[in-house]
Amino acid sequence: MSFFDIFKKKKSKDVAKDRLMMMLAYERANTKIDNLDNMKQELISVVKKYLNVRDINIKTSSNQDIETLEVEILLDK
Amino acid sequence: MAEIITVTSGKGGVGKSTTTANVATALALEGKKVIAIDFDIGLRNLDMILGLENRIVYDVVDVMEGRCNFAQAVIKDKRTPNLHFLPASQTKDKTILNKEKVEKLINDLKKDFDYIFVDSPAGIESGFEHSIYLADRALVVTTPEISAVRDADRVIGIIDAKSKKAKEGQEVSKHIIINRLKPELVEKGEMLSTEDVLHILALPLIGIVPDDEEIVKSTNLGEPIALDKNSRVGEAFRRIAKRIEGEDMEYLDISAKKGFFNKLKGLFK
Repeated sequence: MSFFDIFKKKKSKDVAKDRLMMMLAYERANTKIDNLDNMKQELISVVKKYLNVRDINIKTSSNQDIETLEVEILLDK
Repeated sequence: MAEIITVTSGKGGVGKSTTTANVATALALEGKKVIAIDFDIGLRNLDMILGLENRIVYDVVDVMEGRCNFAQAVIKDKRTPNLHFLPASQTKDKTILNKEKVEKLINDLKKDFDYIFVDSPAGIESGFEHSIYLADRALVVTTPEISAVRDADRVIGIIDAKSKKAKEGQEVSKHIIINRLKPELVEKGEMLSTEDVLHILALPLIGIVPDDEEIVKSTNLGEPIALDKNSRVGEAFRRIAKRIEGEDMEYLDISAKKGFFNKLKGLFK
């Protein structure tokens, strides 16, 4: 059995389910924060007091048990 | 005091109005006093599914704006004496509803009915928000397709954020209705199963409605299929009504109909 046979066996509904779960994990987390842009601006202004910030990226993700908020702060070199 | 039940889905065309018409009819057949209100301003459909389109004089916006009183606008279904219907307006301005007027109308009706059904528009715009604002219970209709399930999930999140109950720290009870399930496809692994959909949406089920050509005929005739005692789809809707009333109903057996040879094989298993 070749590597690709594993995928061939997968029923279309399993593909549908996997795609949905991936998409929803992302979407659910994003709808949790009402005002993502405001939060971003405020975070930038706070960090700016102490450091030179170039940009802030905020990512949310969730799975069955936990939800996380990832804040990546890019600094000026 | 009436229970306010909003029927919603996010995606259009999954059977919201059909579900509203049939579950409301089934509850009225049980002797409950029911009113179905179409909130799909500009694109009304519930009137035709109920077969009441020729009796409309005033609509829900006329009542809210005080152009007529409720008694003038409400339509009593002659086939189902306990069923009342308030049509949507055909105005193009779908932002015409406002929160205070919606709230006043629904609160005025609460004392006169056992159930108030609100048929929500598709989408997540203001009309949808008005329709879920006062809900005690939401029936989220979906079909076993990715786009419908995804939109259902979205809508569930919005109900949790924007309904009055949610804002007051209470919870709107939410149930899933899976519409147009095709058992043959599910058995072949080519359609999401009931379990798959429930696993993804993480909410309790209240009804499974099999895909059936009967429904097309009933819509053509303007006779809700819940009135047809012999119909399987009608039975699915009648059971949803019983579950809303708190009865613990078994789910219909909707496994794929077996052909002669399969039945024969089954005998020898």
